[in-house]
Amino acid sequence: MKLLRKDIAPDASGSVKLVPEESEDLWHAYNLIIQGDRVAAVTVRKVQRETSTGGREAERVRLKLAVEVEAVEFDNVASVLRIRGKNVVENEHVKLGAYHTLELDKQRSFVLTKVQWDSVALDLLKHACDPSTNADVIALLMQEGLSQLCLLGPSITTTKAKIETSIPRKRGAAIAGYDKALNKFFENTLQAVLRHVDFGVVRCLIIASPGFMKDQFYDYMMLEATRREIRPIIENKSKIILVHASSGYKHALKEVLASPAVVTQIEDTKAAQEVKALEDFYNMLSNNPARAAYGPRHVEVAHDRLAIQTLLITDKLFRDADIATRRKYVSLVDSVKGLGGEVHIFSSMHVSGEQLGQLTGIAAILRFPLPDLEDMEF
Amino acid sequence: MPRKGRHKLYDEDDYDYYDDYKDDDEFDYAEHGQSRKEDDATSSAPQQNFLGGASKAGETALGEANLWRCSICTYDNPEDYLACDICGVIRHPSTRVDQLSTAVPFKFDGPSPDDKVLAGKQRNARSVPVEVSSPSILSKTSLSTMETKGGVNTSHSSKLKATLESKAPARSRKLGYDKEKKIESCHVIKPSQYEGESYLDDGMKHMSLDNNLQDNGIINHKIEQSSNKGLPLDNYKPEQWMLEDNENEKKLFHLVIVGHVDAGKSTLMGRILHLLGRISQKEMHKHRKEANEMGKGSFAYAWALDEGSEERARGVTMTVAMKHFETKKFKVVLLDAPGHKDFIPNMISGAAQADAAVLVVDASTGAFEAGFEGQGQVGGQTREHAQLVKSLGVNQLVVAVNKMDAVNYSKSRFNQIKGSLAPFLKQCGFKDTAILWVPVSGIEAQNLVTGPSETQLTSWYTGINLLDAIDTLEPPVRLTSKPLRLIVAEVFSKITLGPTAVSGKLESGAVKVGTKVLLMPSREIARVKSLEQDGESVSVGRAGDHLDVGLQGVDAGALMVGGVLCHPDYPVPIATLLELKVLTLGITVPLLRGTQVVLHAHHAKDPARIAELVSLLDLKTGAVIRQSPRCLTANQRAVIQVVPERGVCVEEYTNFRSLGRIILRDGGKTVAVGVISRIISQQ
Repeated sequence: MKLLRKDIAPDASGSVKLVPEESEDLWHAYNLIIQGDRVAAVTVRKVQRETSTGGREAERVRLKLAVEVEAVEFDNVASVLRIRGKNVVENEHVKLGAYHTLELDKQRSFVLTKVQWDSVALDLLKHACDPSTNADVIALLMQEGLSQLCLLGPSITTTKAKIETSIPRKRGAAIAGYDKALNKFFENTLQAVLRHVDFGVVRCLIIASPGFMKDQFYDYMMLEATRREIRPIIENKSKIILVHASSGYKHALKEVLASPAVVTQIEDTKAAQEVKALEDFYNMLSNNPARAAYGPRHVEVAHDRLAIQTLLITDKLFRDADIATRRKYVSLVDSVKGLGGEVHIFSSMHVSGEQLGQLTGIAAILRFPLPDLEDMEF
Repeated sequence: MPRKGRHKLYDEDDYDYYDDYKDDDEFDYAEHGQSRKEDDATSSAPQQNFLGGASKAGETALGEANLWRCSICTYDNPEDYLACDICGVIRHPSTRVDQLSTAVPFKFDGPSPDDKVLAGKQRNARSVPVEVSSPSILSKTSLSTMETKGGVNTSHSSKLKATLESKAPARSRKLGYDKEKKIESCHVIKPSQYEGESYLDDGMKHMSLDNNLQDNGIINHKIEQSSNKGLPLDNYKPEQWMLEDNENEKKLFHLVIVGHVDAGKSTLMGRILHLLGRISQKEMHKHRKEANEMGKGSFAYAWALDEGSEERARGVTMTVAMKHFETKKFKVVLLDAPGHKDFIPNMISGAAQADAAVLVVDASTGAFEAGFEGQGQVGGQTREHAQLVKSLGVNQLVVAVNKMDAVNYSKSRFNQIKGSLAPFLKQCGFKDTAILWVPVSGIEAQNLVTGPSETQLTSWYTGINLLDAIDTLEPPVRLTSKPLRLIVAEVFSKITLGPTAVSGKLESGAVKVGTKVLLMPSREIARVKSLEQDGESVSVGRAGDHLDVGLQGVDAGALMVGGVLCHPDYPVPIATLLELKVLTLGITVPLLRGTQVVLHAHHAKDPARIAELVSLLDLKTGAVIRQSPRCLTANQRAVIQVVPERGVCVEEYTNFRSLGRIILRDGGKTVAVGVISRIISQQ
């Protein structure tokens, strides 16, 4: 994201002008913009006009509108951010208070004004505008008859392609049917890889599967690449990593990201850190359950006793909550940080964040055991 | 072409009344069936009056007592016209069923060609459950016969229903469909079943249903755009052809071979097949030659089962191989499961079909320990497989202690293995009496189909050989009296079966060539074109058989592994929220709300997440220890709720055991096994 202008007053109110550059940036914008903010952007609106003869005529007018946000929607696949709200700037075409939905797209600047820029929002802004975090990893998850191509950005995971075929079991002389089906499956997967993987951008391509599927596919891919002279694959052979996964489903991504071969490649990415933090939490929960807490109430109690060492929280909590609740979570994050604790804000678009989201969205590893949490109601 | 003012009969209120009868919960219904019945009896009386009044008003306004709709031009003719006023088509003579016309003036509504098109369209657009007019229902009362025709004028059918509800509470559930759906269903008869028949014929068939029910059998279908649930399973009455079974014939027996990787499962079975003459000398010679060429001479027998090039190259079974052989007592369907931990999902689908299991353990020094204890915290596959087969409903086990040649057929080693494995198997839930211990050697063919010849073994072993041990197993109980359920284990195409063929075990009911089956979860109707068993064409398949079914009238995309072929009247539910009673295994990471797992049920697998930890149960008594626990750790019993991502075709365990078992896996390990105690919501 490009930051064009930043006017934030000492009382934390102010505005910024931003240009999202890729879909990841729209995701950041989605997290930044909350109910009650003002967003100004160039938009197109259909305006009814009366002609001189008294007839009506609709016309699409390009104009700049500012709305007070009521709802924000993010479409990951189409990379569009929709912001619905009431118009706050008088305009010759649009009345004050009329509803309008702004569509933010890549490369379209917008101005975001907040009454209060809290620490979480400022951190997010800083993170979003940091170009060094941009690096993508592509993971191909496979199992017999199912393959999924996932693009792992710093904060979002997008499923680019999903291929499903039923592969018959081996049977006597009809074994050819099995090989044929498998080859077709590989061919489709290879086509998906060629279509979606831009080796110029991605750091590495991870092929993960249970059993020997990954090796089989790798062999097939290399054979076809030489046969058909597919340059990108031949040249980027070193970027392909084979990893074991227990299944081809999306949640196996967390195993993939935790495997040593991958960790060295993506150590610095947010996704890897999140996976590690969540794993630590689970380990703590199994080894010393009294030192792990989850659920808003338990975490709050733990915080009151200054017990939180690492706080895990999803961005969904900041986004969905009303202003008062958001403020509560922000102050929790601030105060944990102030007390020397560590805070991980998980992206709900990653597998680990998704999982934390299922787990009430908030969890904590504690400095010392609090066995009485167990008996407390959620 | 409705007459003017006639639509008044479709009074809003009428439908609202029936909406109240929309009963989503089958379970609930069964429980309250009795009280509902009484309620209906009392409440239907005023309702009838009301309806009677309403229709009377409508009719008097029309000045017509009764109308019948022409099946060709849909013009509404007066009751006393024998032929249509407009097009002259003769009204069906037997419409005046005596009992009915006295009680309720009956009107026959045939579907117009437009409706026919519409019906087809809707069938494609949305999933449509199909109802079969099975004899049990039709023969109940003639009222219900009329009802199932679906061509009854709405106002009259309302009256019928009012009466029906009091008479047949079980059926009334069916009537409570949505208002709009009902309007559609009143005029919609599924076209495909009536292809090639004129509507008049169609009517004839229905009118004479009472006497030729058996002939029409379940081929006589009718669509109803009503509830998704179908009929309660208890309603099902099998037909004669489904039951008859030749007692003298050898029973089919599904046997799964499990065990740790490299325990010699495939070699052992390859050897047995060879000794029984199921593999010709020529084939065996070929395998031996090829194996030697690849420097894997010892794999020659395993190659009889491991046919995939990848499997042969790596020397590991990957998918479940299926072979047939015969013993003195059984026709055995042999399922050779892979032992490698990455292929446990395949092993589960194999074991889900099995009636009994052979657990192969490697007797050679260190190998048994590796399979049993495993490395580090992770147990070996001997352990995991034993737990899995038990949780999949296999109660009888033959433990084949293999590779006895490697330990010089030592009695002490055999006893040592028995000593350490027996307590564990007991802990898994196998009864001591249900386990047979047989020392064998696959590679030296000792004690497989004939008694041992090796003196080192004969000196102390006096028991039976492996094949006889299989013969001592109890034959499985077949669910012939339940409606058709065939779990799709494989989708393939074959010249003799056509491009859309499935294979799987018939869990219950029966199927014959020509029957219509409902394909779940795609909800498509298909016709059985041909049936094969072990490569030979058969005409009828009954519960317990392993069948290859050639289907007609479906798209290959609608077939999927883990799907179920069912009786169109009794579709299997597609569960989207399940309550499970589970036992957690030796897990290191606790299970929490939101934990993502892979849910395995028979051949289906679906990513799922745990939605709720409902309660923790006592290991022995099953009593609730605490509600909504924070997490589940190893070896605990609990009730949990699970949400599969796409929905799976399963049944509640109490209704249908083989479809009610569940295994939850995560990260390549089995985290919990259990049964479905309740299907909370379904598609």
